[in-house]
Amino acid sequence: MTNKVKNITVTCFMAVILFGLAFWTWFKPADDFSTSERRPLDQFPELSWNTIFHEDSEKTFMKTFESYTLDQFPLRDTFRTLKSIASFYVFGNKDNNNIYIEDGYAAQLEYPIKEDSLDYAAGKFKEAAKYFGANANMYFSIVPDKGYFLAEQNGYLSMDYEQFFSLMADKMDFAEYIDITGELALEDYYKTDTHWRQEKILDVAKKLAEGMGVTLVSEYTEKTLDNPFYGVYYGQSALPLPAEDMKYLTNDILENCTVYSYEDGKNIDVYDMEKAYGKDPYEMYLSGNLTAVKITNPNAITDKELVIFRDSFGASLSPLLIEAYSEIIILDIRYASIAVINSYRDNNGRAMALDLRTADDVLFIYSSLVLNNSSTLR
Amino acid sequence: MLFSSIPFLYYFLPCVILLYLIAPKMLKNTVLLLASLVFYAWGEPKYVVLMVATVLLGYVLGLLIERFQGKKLSKFFLILSLAIDLGFLAYFKYADFFITNFNAVTGLSVELLNIALPVGISFYTFQILSYTVDVYRGDVKAQRNPINLATYIALFPQLIAGPIVRYSDIALQLDERTHSFEKIAQGTRRFIIGLGKKILIADMFAGFCSTFLASNDKSVVFFWLYAIAYSLQIYFDFSGYSDMAIGLGKMFGFDFLENFNYPFISGSITEFWRRWHMSLGTWFRDYVYIPLGGNRVSKWRGIFNIFVVWMLTGFWHGASWNFVLWGLFFGILLLIEKLWLLKYLKKAKVWNHFYVLILIIFSFVLFASVDLGDLATNVKGMIGLGGVPFISAETIYYLRSYAIIFILAIIGATPLVKKVAIAVQNSKIGSKILAVAEPIGLAVLLLVMTGYLVDGSFSPFLYFRF
Repeated sequence: MTNKVKNITVTCFMAVILFGLAFWTWFKPADDFSTSERRPLDQFPELSWNTIFHEDSEKTFMKTFESYTLDQFPLRDTFRTLKSIASFYVFGNKDNNNIYIEDGYAAQLEYPIKEDSLDYAAGKFKEAAKYFGANANMYFSIVPDKGYFLAEQNGYLSMDYEQFFSLMADKMDFAEYIDITGELALEDYYKTDTHWRQEKILDVAKKLAEGMGVTLVSEYTEKTLDNPFYGVYYGQSALPLPAEDMKYLTNDILENCTVYSYEDGKNIDVYDMEKAYGKDPYEMYLSGNLTAVKITNPNAITDKELVIFRDSFGASLSPLLIEAYSEIIILDIRYASIAVINSYRDNNGRAMALDLRTADDVLFIYSSLVLNNSSTLR
Repeated sequence: MLFSSIPFLYYFLPCVILLYLIAPKMLKNTVLLLASLVFYAWGEPKYVVLMVATVLLGYVLGLLIERFQGKKLSKFFLILSLAIDLGFLAYFKYADFFITNFNAVTGLSVELLNIALPVGISFYTFQILSYTVDVYRGDVKAQRNPINLATYIALFPQLIAGPIVRYSDIALQLDERTHSFEKIAQGTRRFIIGLGKKILIADMFAGFCSTFLASNDKSVVFFWLYAIAYSLQIYFDFSGYSDMAIGLGKMFGFDFLENFNYPFISGSITEFWRRWHMSLGTWFRDYVYIPLGGNRVSKWRGIFNIFVVWMLTGFWHGASWNFVLWGLFFGILLLIEKLWLLKYLKKAKVWNHFYVLILIIFSFVLFASVDLGDLATNVKGMIGLGGVPFISAETIYYLRSYAIIFILAIIGATPLVKKVAIAVQNSKIGSKILAVAEPIGLAVLLLVMTGYLVDGSFSPFLYFRF
């Protein structure tokens, strides 16, 4: 009797799950965007003779339909969380999709050192350095990822960071290396995100300024966004990590600065409040991934000009350096090559032209994550 | 289409079950056949034509073989069937292998055909051959209904990765089979367990093996862990697929024979092959070894027969020399056991298991090797001659990260869990607990595995390429 009941129960349970989820996924309206992963979701692919028999097996209807079903599955984030929980807490995996959690911080396994990538990055920086005058002072710094503070100490795979810094410094022999690791601690980073907190890096800014022969003395007012911040690792780890506060620094000097985007040919704000409440709040700093931005400081006590080659870490750092410069040009060569960016020197109807030749100081500052995976540099 | 995919689990399978349930009895095989063709076309639309042609030829030749039973024409049609089916297999699977070796021997440069391998061709070719040979031998009657024969050959649960179901084993079920909650529950249970073997263990080991292959921080221990992980991956991947095939078969009323019986607990290689991929082993025994004379021939002819069978077994797994060597490796071991070692192995209690495990692990290193250089690298690494340290930071990290999976897999490769489950089921309280725990456990398992699939944890079944 028990067996009969069990068999009926097993059949019914499975039927409910199988058909329940099947009907749900068949009739659920398609979502456009995954907030947790910050990416658009695949839509129903084109069904035609050509797509069914497409020569490229990765582009057939069947293949793209599979991606669509994965992206549009009902309760997708909940299922991903279920997988993460099983992976970490049932099967004891140390990381899930290369993301690990330690001391409440989510971090990415960055291992091993990819020397080819360092060579490529250094090559790109050397190429960029040629666009400056002979008198420009070249500086270089590396922002360590969270693994620097977390990995080795907690038994995770870890690069030899000292070797990493040393290798990169050797390859960047045209620039003076400024070591900022002493000014950083794990608490200076967001728990759920790859980035550092702007309100925690004043020491870093001062160290860089000191290295470049200028001084920073300003005080800042700390402001907190009133929306919860979930960083990029929150989505990647798919674990229910708590939200964080996102803060930014401002003062009179910054508020009087003007910021110009060469890419858009218009003025923007130092802190983009629309983006602060958008899909990726960290893009609030200098509007995120713009290729070329100039901050002009009308209250500067010097007429020095600084050019910063940066990734997203540099976006939150750059405003803190403006106090010591009359202008800072901030360039991101992940989205356009230096040759393309340099073409902004021809106005082409823009309000301002870009001139790199007058720069006094040039700072290359990149995170170890970008340097070790530098194929994104153009 | 993969069983371990969202399109199969939440699109294809529910549709087929619904259609199967509402179809009248006389149309149930037609529903299964059409579903199987869609299932096959999902991965290889153009090769559906090849499969249908092969099935039709098998159907016609089966009838002709029976029609001329006892006459020379019957043999002629059997040979025609063998020639066509093996010809297709040779062309699609082995042509480039032969051309490559021909070029290497002659120094010529005949252009490769670069033909994509039709998925599952090795499996369905062997099924058709077993049918025509059995009809020729008079063991079964030729199937009059082409839908039934096509259903047997194309039946999606076992179409692309076995087990190799003999026509004689399901001939009656094609006409008459029973459906019950008991069978559906058994099938569901078996399918979920197979899916778990694939997603939660085999795919995890696939990740481990990929990590090892990409690593620049290998060590002796890492080489061994790789070899063990790969062996377990193959076992859980393939036996998981067989479980799913058997489970799906039960849901639709079929009873397929078992394909695996805890091979890693074997006390000899001879026993291992009675427990590993049983449908292939018995196929070669019945359709190659015995027709060659088996062991009822002279000693040397018997040895020759063994080598032929094992070379072909290896070659069946892939068009590459490492598979041939893999087969011959087992041929040699089985011969040694047959001539001398087996009597000692049967008396042993412990060392024979280590003997089997070491040789099986080594055999899978050979199986996985791209070429002889790769094999040498792996073997040297395992015995400490690879110029790598005994252990490395990466080894320790991945050992810690995969320790539970290794433990679960090793336990799961023994009958321990099955024995415990039977013991619990047979106790009064245990059976009551299981009545509640089993449906919940299976449901949770399915949901967790869905999570793994949705997260993109996905790799194709290894045996598809065979």
